[in-house]
Amino acid sequence: MPKIEIDGIEVECRDGITVLQAALEAGWSVPHYCYHPGLSVVASCRLCLMEMQMPSPKGGGMEWSSKLVPSCQVPVKNGLVVRFASDQVKRNQRRVMEFLLLNHPLDCPVCDQAGECLLQDYSYEFGDPTSRMRDEKHKSPKKDIGPRTLLYSDRCVLCTRCVRFTREITGTHDLCVTHRGSENEIDVFPGKALDNPLQGNVVDLCPVGALLDKDFLFKQRVWFLKRTKSICPGCSTGCAVSVDSNEGVVYRLKPRYNPGVNDWWMCDEGRFGWKYMHDANRITAPVIRRGGVTGTPPWDSVPEIVDARLRAVIEAHGPDKVAVVLSPMMACEEAWLLVRFLRSVASEATLVLGPVPIQGQLQMFPVGSTGDAVRFTIRREKCPNRRGVETIIAETGGPTLSFEVFCEQATAGAFAAAWIVGGYPEPWVTKDFAKAVGQLEFVVAQDLFPNEVTEVATLVLPACGFAQREGSFMNFGGRIQPFDRAIAPPDGAKGDGQYLYELAGFTGLYSGRAVREMMAQEIHLFSMVKEAPPMPVHQH
Amino acid sequence: MGDYEPVLLRNVGVEGAATIGVYKKRGGYRALAKALKMTPDEVVEEVKAAALRGRGGAGFPAGVKWGFLPKDRDVTYLCVNGDESEPPTFSNRVLMENDPHQLIEGTIISAYATQSSIAYVYLRVEFHELFHILQRAIDEAYAAGYLGKNILGSGYDLECYIHRGAGAYICGEETGLIESIEGKRGWPRNKPPFPAVEGLFHKPTVVNNVETLCNVPHIIERGAGWFTGIGPPGSSGPKLFCVCGPVNRPGCYEGPMTITVRDLIYGDAYGQGMIGDRKVKAVLPGGISMGILTGDELDMKMDFADPAEYGLLGLGTAAAVVVSEDTDIRVVLRSIAQFFAHESCGQCTQCREGTSWMYKIARRIAAGEGGPGDLEVMYETAGNLGMMPGLSICGLSDGAAFPIRTLIEKFRGELEQHVREAPDEIEQRSPSTVRS
Repeated sequence: MPKIEIDGIEVECRDGITVLQAALEAGWSVPHYCYHPGLSVVASCRLCLMEMQMPSPKGGGMEWSSKLVPSCQVPVKNGLVVRFASDQVKRNQRRVMEFLLLNHPLDCPVCDQAGECLLQDYSYEFGDPTSRMRDEKHKSPKKDIGPRTLLYSDRCVLCTRCVRFTREITGTHDLCVTHRGSENEIDVFPGKALDNPLQGNVVDLCPVGALLDKDFLFKQRVWFLKRTKSICPGCSTGCAVSVDSNEGVVYRLKPRYNPGVNDWWMCDEGRFGWKYMHDANRITAPVIRRGGVTGTPPWDSVPEIVDARLRAVIEAHGPDKVAVVLSPMMACEEAWLLVRFLRSVASEATLVLGPVPIQGQLQMFPVGSTGDAVRFTIRREKCPNRRGVETIIAETGGPTLSFEVFCEQATAGAFAAAWIVGGYPEPWVTKDFAKAVGQLEFVVAQDLFPNEVTEVATLVLPACGFAQREGSFMNFGGRIQPFDRAIAPPDGAKGDGQYLYELAGFTGLYSGRAVREMMAQEIHLFSMVKEAPPMPVHQH
Repeated sequence: MGDYEPVLLRNVGVEGAATIGVYKKRGGYRALAKALKMTPDEVVEEVKAAALRGRGGAGFPAGVKWGFLPKDRDVTYLCVNGDESEPPTFSNRVLMENDPHQLIEGTIISAYATQSSIAYVYLRVEFHELFHILQRAIDEAYAAGYLGKNILGSGYDLECYIHRGAGAYICGEETGLIESIEGKRGWPRNKPPFPAVEGLFHKPTVVNNVETLCNVPHIIERGAGWFTGIGPPGSSGPKLFCVCGPVNRPGCYEGPMTITVRDLIYGDAYGQGMIGDRKVKAVLPGGISMGILTGDELDMKMDFADPAEYGLLGLGTAAAVVVSEDTDIRVVLRSIAQFFAHESCGQCTQCREGTSWMYKIARRIAAGEGGPGDLEVMYETAGNLGMMPGLSICGLSDGAAFPIRTLIEKFRGELEQHVREAPDEIEQRSPSTVRS
């Protein structure tokens, strides 16, 4: 590990990084726009400049170079001596901040980025409080560059992160720089739009308010948002994301740095795939059907009802006539609790993995890349936890069936009762499955939306969206990633984890972590949870 | 200077000099034959011994540049910089229009010395006529066996292509030029790596100016000793000078680097004095980007060393714009600032914003609306950009800073007169924007 000296302080740093990275990791606050850890280095914003000791041209030792050097470009090397705490460095920072604001509209009060804007933050920390500009500002236009994204080029600082993203990560080359000098603008090519499956990342990459997400535009001031760590349930990649919410409403999803899984990125499918959670048609309270009468039982009575009805079925038909259809949308903890409960009542209950939604093609980026060159993958399996639920089924043992065989057998009358978990944002109940369910005497349906199963189920329990739950998903590669609860379940509903926890005989509040610890006693694999690392300070 | 025998311009004015027949009749392609009998290293050594310094502006020794090429390289490219975009500079144009084979011969010899397999001539797009002249000459050279496979039976192959720019000053910067040839926006690259190590298409590349390469055949033919015999030490060899503005005979002239700015304006072999005997107010002697001289500084020698004594960045392209006494210095300032604001590629913050800010201020001063503090802001801004203090990727912003800084330093009195005369209300009309 090389040791370098920054501002007179010795810093031990990782191999192969740059001085800027080393300084940021060691807690220095070094302003930068064009540098982003996931993109190539262009050293063009000239804000992270530092002083560096070089061999004296006169010979005999080292001296401070009269030139400033971009710290984003200098690799760390044992014995390197640099400084940011110098008048020359600070003067440059002040001047760059002044330059960047010369033609900036200063429209922070109506800018979505306000509050998480590096122009604001750096101006406050490194800039002068006044401008000496007395001429008219050059005004670059606002542009609609794609179905989901706007570009207010008057706010742009030309860091070119977005351009590099479309070249280096997506390989779609949608963006470019046009014009020259201070009239430079980011733009799409004539007749083309920014419309690639990862395009939302350019909004995250934009350090200022130039690239804007139409979906989030003017919806919330960012300082009202609560940020919660989550995992995207959109496909089996398992991107680490943040759910930004306020007063029980989700406003946006942002990717979280997660090396080896999604790095700094996420796809639009996941980014905008949370809307169903606020759909007015969701099931928000338990429903019970008794002899053609439909009612809403109090939550307290649910365990009793389930227990009594299941026992009645077992008494009448035997303990092997009960099945549970687990959903790949469930968290590992939820699946484990449900299995534990059902097997405690019906020791020979059959475990079934519900349908695994497969859609489209495997999409690898940059477009056309293979092997090590792949920087991001969108998977065909549009659920987060097939592997986690499969693992629980396999490790629990006992009778299991595939979904197709279960449908056939249930249609033929092999089962009398089933607990069916959905939780898919899209309609999922096939005709065959509805027919199979129709043969059952007692059905508990746990789902988000009304469908052919909830229409006939004896007991319907509301399921929650991922941001309303907590637990962990096992992604395509077997990585178990925990996610937290961002918002409360809809009024009247209860978190899936909570009521399953209670059914399984526990009291108090459900906690994903606590349940995982119990699971790990039985299935060692679940002790190996992999959390995404915290985002390094000052890295946006 | 009347006894100076032109070398580079020897074919200018000769009927049919742009054709291979006339060029050969006048001694052309002899140096190539000689060079191909030498080893590439011997050619490099000869050019090194001649201390041929780059004529494009920076004055870096060409042989040393060639010596930076890694020993174990597989492919090497030679780029001929014919983007000639510096204001008042037209010496490359004169060379290529009148004597294209001289450039081609120099290119082939230099490509041989550097073991380049392809030479790209990067040509300023505005050279429409010239493009056809040069292309015709290249076709002739191919037909005569000077280009292509197994040149003159030496076993050495070289392909030569013209790549036309699209009208950007920045593409004359060597890495901007390389990006442009690669089909990209001409944004200069961060260095290191230098082009000699990683240049065009990520391969070792040499970029040389047209005039630099035109010197090479003469060095090979007449020897390094002959070359260093011309001009002062450190500034050896024949040099082209341009002079324009209100002089009696504007044009491109050849001479040794012993001449002064005064010679260039008043010399019989050069500008032959000012129109109507007007007084010289100022001269920008190295293209506009090297800085400005006052009418009292005409003793500056047009060599690689002396300009620094006058606060200038360097010799530059050795093309002088002469400003006469009846020109308002504010207009000069505005024109300079306008050029760089227009030509800044916009990659680095300081240059992108600084050049346009300076232009806005200069425009206002020229319009009689200069206010207190304007000159200070402009002068300071000119000090806050440039590659030399490490603030930008390429030297364009140094070229923007030097003329403006030296102009404000040397003509402050005249500028202040106009600024001071500006009404006080300007300050009140547009107060500094306060942000918090």
